[in-house]
Amino acid sequence: MDYIIQAEHVVKQYGAFRALDDVSVNIPRGSVYGLLGPNGAGKTTLIRIINRITAPDSGRILFDGHDIQPSDVELIGYLPEERGLYKKMKVGDQVLYFAQLKGLTKAEATRRAKDWFVRFGIESWWGKKVEELSKGMAQKVQFITTVLHEPRLLIFDEPFSGFDPLNAQLLKDEMLRLRDQGATIIFSTHNMASVEEICTHITLINKARNILSGSLDEVRAEFGAVEVREVVKMGKSMNDIFIEAVGNE
Amino acid sequence: MSKISIIIAREFNERVRKRSFLITTILTPLLMVGLIGAMIAMMTMRSGEVKHIEVIDSSGVVASRLESTGTIQYEPTQRTLEEINTSHPDTWGVLVVGADVMTNSSNVQLYTYSSSTLETEMSIAGDIEQIVEAEKLKGYDIENLPQILDEVRTNVSLTAYKIDDSGSQKESSSALAMGLAYVLGILMYMFVLLYGVQVMNGVIEEKNSKVLEVVVSSVRPFQLMMGKIVGIALVAVTQFIIWVAILGIAGAAMIQFMVPSDVLALAQAGAGAGMPGAVGMTDNAELVTVLSNVMDFSYIGKMLVVFLIFFVGGYLLYAGMFAAVGSAVDNVQDAQQFQMPITLPLVLGLIGMINAMQDPTSSMAFWLSIIPFTSPMVMVARIPYGVPGWELALSIVLLVATFIVMVWLAGKIYRVGIFMYGKKPTFSELIKWISYKS
Repeated sequence: MDYIIQAEHVVKQYGAFRALDDVSVNIPRGSVYGLLGPNGAGKTTLIRIINRITAPDSGRILFDGHDIQPSDVELIGYLPEERGLYKKMKVGDQVLYFAQLKGLTKAEATRRAKDWFVRFGIESWWGKKVEELSKGMAQKVQFITTVLHEPRLLIFDEPFSGFDPLNAQLLKDEMLRLRDQGATIIFSTHNMASVEEICTHITLINKARNILSGSLDEVRAEFGAVEVREVVKMGKSMNDIFIEAVGNE
Repeated sequence: MSKISIIIAREFNERVRKRSFLITTILTPLLMVGLIGAMIAMMTMRSGEVKHIEVIDSSGVVASRLESTGTIQYEPTQRTLEEINTSHPDTWGVLVVGADVMTNSSNVQLYTYSSSTLETEMSIAGDIEQIVEAEKLKGYDIENLPQILDEVRTNVSLTAYKIDDSGSQKESSSALAMGLAYVLGILMYMFVLLYGVQVMNGVIEEKNSKVLEVVVSSVRPFQLMMGKIVGIALVAVTQFIIWVAILGIAGAAMIQFMVPSDVLALAQAGAGAGMPGAVGMTDNAELVTVLSNVMDFSYIGKMLVVFLIFFVGGYLLYAGMFAAVGSAVDNVQDAQQFQMPITLPLVLGLIGMINAMQDPTSSMAFWLSIIPFTSPMVMVARIPYGVPGWELALSIVLLVATFIVMVWLAGKIYRVGIFMYGKKPTFSELIKWISYKS
């Protein structure tokens, strides 16, 4: 199997608190991978380790089969749960700034950004300051900064929390479009409906441990009623599986 | 362009393009020039006011000989103090000289109708002393006394020279040195504090607007912190250079138009050659010395260079701490508690600077100019008086070593702090973060 990310026996400790305890996750290329789990389970810590924001105490992360390098973050687009923009900075400058930090030249970043602004019909925002935008508008800009450098791996931490329904739908559509173009997508969420809708694989993390991993079908097979496998939609909902798996811990 | 230079460029551009930067950068030196002008104007206005003093002289010796000056007008009178008290339209005060003033020199009183000043009282006392002394001398019946006195009278104008390590002499002006020490010390304090706080506020703003995690997914937290610190340092240096340029041009213009040409020529000779003796030929010795020092590029230039070195060192030291504090809190209010231990040594440096200004070689001035946390302020205050090379070198080495350690520690706190939202951490938690693995 071809994996874009392999996390092997990752351990992360903050003082006395163990955030991740021997977690291994394999993320197939081209998949839409859901990271599920209750608050404080360790999802964000794992995501930060994959992004090289923090380093694991032990274990390792492979990117495209090699130990992840500093330059690999230029191939990753990350939308954190705590997301925002510089309020006093102009929208255009801001988009170019983040793109340059991801290794794009200014000229290339400008060209791509203009395309995206046209696509979203927001050309007139280019010279505005972020504080002049509404929250929904800022979310669109935020999304552009995440994908402008055309990353091969996209990581969204709780992407659907805080987005209004319109932007959530836009985000979902864009995620699927990027997947069709060959990108791999990891996202963490509480929203089980969106998991059923777009995920191909999931991992369920609880209390710092990986308690369940696999493709959606495999997970259903393990937890769902076997007799209804041919009508997958009638099997246990992801919500039920989530509650059952976490409840058993 | 490397990532850290992209960050530096953003921090620099966002600040320099602000209108507030433009205003403070242009207005502050103009305000300083205006303030000096106002002070000069006030001094000339004060000297224009004439004090009329009526003199009641029972000794018959003093009143007739008191010579009025521009500001003090002595007016001998036959009226009594009571009579004057009932009617004194123009009178500022009444001087009463006792009959036995020749033997009892403390029998002199001054009554005033508005508040008196020490300067006026000393001037009056001095005038009477001279008369009494002259009168007493007369009692010895010396021949040609007036001529002798004229010949004996001397006005000493002291010229101070500073001998440096190489043995060459340089006219030095303590007044100028003191003024420069004060200005440089205060400027250092202001710059380190104001720009240090800007670093802290910048970090808090990034944390508040939740933009931090987006940025650190592209660059290391340490790169972001250093980019911000360096970017803001460049803003400070830019501002300083513009100030020096404006003040330099304004100062040169003032010297050109306000200083008499003969004084200027002497000062130029002094600045160029460092020749002793040139100043002896004029009454304006102090002014010539000040001007020749000011126009001596190596003297002023050396001070500016030392100021910049200590500013960069001191700023990096404090900016690191401010960045660590900013990363640990969610808002400016929470930061206050942590700012205390940072501003305390700064204030200590300010006190040390005032001490060093008065006595630049005292052991307190020496130690505070060596210890890194206070050295930026205290050392720049000592520089105008001249500091031995080894002290300067030791101070710089210690400062650099300390800021490297401090920035490293700050980076450790920073990389943990930026992800901590909600609860305000304690000091011990802050210290504990240092030991976390990255």
